[in-house]
Amino acid sequence: MASRELSYQDLLKIAEAIRTASHFSEFRLKVGDIEVNVRRANGAQAGSHAPVEAKAAPEQRVLATTGIPADAPAVRAPMVGTFYRASAPDAPPFVEAGSKVEPGTVVGIIEVMKLMNQVEAGLSGVVKEVLVGNAQSVERGQPLMLIDPV
Amino acid sequence: MKRFGFVDVTLRDAHQCLWGTRMTTAMMTPILEEIDRCGYDTINILGGAVFDVCVRYLHEDPFARVKLLCERLRTPTDALTRGQSLYTFELFPDDVVELNAKVLAKLGVKVFTVYDALNDNRNLESSIKAGREAGMKINGWLTYTLSPVHTDAYYVARAKELVNLKSDILCIKDPTGLLTPECGRTLFPAVVRAAGRTPVQLHSHCQSGLAPEVYQVAIESGFAHGYTASEPLANGASLPATEEIAARAERLGFKTGMNRKALQRVADYFRWLCVREDKPAGVPAKYDPALYQHQIPGGMISNLRYQLQTMKIEHRLPEILEEAARVRKDLGYPIAVSPFAQYIVTQAVLNVVQGERYKTIPDEVRKYAAGYYGRLAAPLSGDFLDRIDLKEKDLVSNRPGENLKPWLPRLRRELPGAPDEELLLVAFYDRKLLAPLSKPQPHYSFRTTPLAELAGWLAQRRDIEYAHIRFAGTEMTFSS
Repeated sequence: MASRELSYQDLLKIAEAIRTASHFSEFRLKVGDIEVNVRRANGAQAGSHAPVEAKAAPEQRVLATTGIPADAPAVRAPMVGTFYRASAPDAPPFVEAGSKVEPGTVVGIIEVMKLMNQVEAGLSGVVKEVLVGNAQSVERGQPLMLIDPV
Repeated sequence: MKRFGFVDVTLRDAHQCLWGTRMTTAMMTPILEEIDRCGYDTINILGGAVFDVCVRYLHEDPFARVKLLCERLRTPTDALTRGQSLYTFELFPDDVVELNAKVLAKLGVKVFTVYDALNDNRNLESSIKAGREAGMKINGWLTYTLSPVHTDAYYVARAKELVNLKSDILCIKDPTGLLTPECGRTLFPAVVRAAGRTPVQLHSHCQSGLAPEVYQVAIESGFAHGYTASEPLANGASLPATEEIAARAERLGFKTGMNRKALQRVADYFRWLCVREDKPAGVPAKYDPALYQHQIPGGMISNLRYQLQTMKIEHRLPEILEEAARVRKDLGYPIAVSPFAQYIVTQAVLNVVQGERYKTIPDEVRKYAAGYYGRLAAPLSGDFLDRIDLKEKDLVSNRPGENLKPWLPRLRRELPGAPDEELLLVAFYDRKLLAPLSKPQPHYSFRTTPLAELAGWLAQRRDIEYAHIRFAGTEMTFSS
């Protein structure tokens, strides 16, 4: 067989194969002249440094960047932007860990395109942990704070 | 044979539109050599949003990026500023504007592009003068919009002003993709005639899906260049694909000098980068007639919808958009780009929520109306003037930059011996925001291969402990 270099088209195929098979612990795949054989960290050797995402079904997947289960009770960013914990640099934060919140409680502000948007808790409970620092950029859906629901 | 040339926007406006401006310098460096081979006349590397996102979100020194890209690219580089507002929406005094031009030229920028969101070309005067003195070519932009006053004659008059200011290049910039082939057929030849020997360029976005057709009209009308992006980062809210526009130009009998193989390799890299970085590639937009009514950019509408939701008045969005069209008219047809789009929307919300027009007028709207930011395209409406009660002493009629006292003497006193780049950053930003910029630069790689990308990608995935890849007689094993 004539040897050739891996192309970006090959790479896209490999990446696609690995991503679509994310819920298998081990898989082999052959696309054209490319064969891929992947084993995930929680495969045969249970108890290794297995991150949770490999085992979980896709809908329960853990957000890779935060380690927070996707269905955990939390206030999530309703939009992309910059998160602010207080109404002004010298004002106290809207909430801290331990604060009680109602669905309508304002827990922060997200600034996008120079417009300020109040973020409401959306559920009742107690703030367990604030996950995002002041003036940090957030993605849509990113958990901002964990809530112990009541 | 007639020629049509290209200006690349892949490293600037393309990711601004599709990736929220989040392309890092490290993502650019491996492909610079290949971009250089494509045959672009100029490569745009800087604009207001890129500068701002570098500082606020990527924690990169934007001037260090400019320097590195200018050193690495043989193709002349282009930097864009918002005239007297530079990278922000505030106005800066002339001395800061001048120093910025000097710094960009020193870092290796060859084309200095300037525009004003009000098309008040007085706001470009100090940039043009300083840019030329620093040895850069000047590219003056006309910002396109639709309104009863933004006629072909209006743009011809603005084009003549830019020619008189000795712009080396003129460009029609269509920030929301409002141009249609029909508009282009009258506007483009008129601007080409007004420009005389000055070459004219087109910079239009694809929101309406019509941009490639509009580019074709520009090519036929005698435009010299089009701004385009590598195909994976073109279309959608971005600009058209270089590949597509080059093919159209060549079919019309124009020489483009574009290197198909290099373009393909650049596109391959960026297609992979979309996957690696989990960022969207551009998808051609469908024709959207609603775009032409209120002209409010899509990003701002989704933002507004959310704000209305929190106020429990989401159902009034259509009413507010209708009011936005009315407010825009009352305000003399500002172009719906930042920051004026925000002013229009805010005023429209106030009018609707308060149930009375102009009961409250925000300070920014008042400043705009008084001419603080520059000359308005059309007079304010009588209804608005009755409510705003502008005093004679509040009106600004001279060049806005003239009203601002120099800043550099104070900055130089506060930061003795500081390099010019630092003086500028301190002029633009709160010092707290600048602290992360002094972190050491990462190690940049200037070349990559699909195999190297694969190895790096697998190594980063903590969920994979073993991978065996076999292709065309080669075998590879990755194991943690």
